[in-house]
Amino acid sequence: MAEELEDLTDEMKAAVGQETGRSTYEVTTQGIRTFARAVGYKDSKYFDEAAAKAAGYDGGLPSPPGFLGMPIFNPSADGAGRRELFENPFQRRLDGGTEVEPIEQVYGGDVLEAISRITTLELTQSRLGKMLIQNSETVYTRQSDGQIVAKKRGTGLSY
Amino acid sequence: MADQIHWDDVEEGQEFSLNEPMSSQRLVVWAAASGDFYQIHYDDDFAENNNLPDIIVHGALKGMLVGRLIDEWKGDQGKIKNWGVSYRGMDPARQDLTVWGKVTKKYEDDGEALIDLDVGVAQPDGTQTTPGTATVALPKR
Repeated sequence: MAEELEDLTDEMKAAVGQETGRSTYEVTTQGIRTFARAVGYKDSKYFDEAAAKAAGYDGGLPSPPGFLGMPIFNPSADGAGRRELFENPFQRRLDGGTEVEPIEQVYGGDVLEAISRITTLELTQSRLGKMLIQNSETVYTRQSDGQIVAKKRGTGLSY
Repeated sequence: MADQIHWDDVEEGQEFSLNEPMSSQRLVVWAAASGDFYQIHYDDDFAENNNLPDIIVHGALKGMLVGRLIDEWKGDQGKIKNWGVSYRGMDPARQDLTVWGKVTKKYEDDGEALIDLDVGVAQPDGTQTTPGTATVALPKR
């Protein structure tokens, strides 16, 4: 079916602009330190609150750019908050890329609401065969003050 | 703390980079930090059964290494406006990757002193797998 697809289905066209997921992300100090370690930071400001304060960060332990916490994991609610808006006939998936737009500094203790939506869908011919390119945007809003702190845009490839 | 870089001192064509060893342990630490536990990133047998030459560096880790490169370069008084990368190729683990940035444009807009960058990740043989761009605001002297 996938290779026979000549155009986006009506269901796919209707999905563009629609919300696909809503999650709560917790930005913990432990999460910040683990992320900073994994990415290879040596700067103490991402590990030690006193060093962060000395560097001019007044909200506690700052989050490195791109780290927006982890979604709350609950195995009994697996998949909750996510909506499949269309039937995707392609079986293989690749991550095509990421764009990050930091807007406000995030700190340990922040709780963020992340809302994702599909921005574009395109059916194209690639060297791997017919491919569905899905671009999405997720907006992260801090619950304590309603401030949008970051946006992430991602490209998903199905083929 | 690194010295603060200023917009006035930046020149188009200027380059900077990180050399990052990609051991299997590094990928496991990233899996814990990101919650991405797909086995192609840490299970040799699983990777081999998927016709991969080795376990593979996470795309998101490469994207965040580019973020770290820019974050450390801009200093505490700089601000990342945005950065983005495309995952055009797989990077097998157990080799060093070079995470690089190059200044492409220096300009002012709406009261901000801005720098545009090309960024990317390269394998030891020079193969580029993760091209992208970024924009950073820097303080002026």
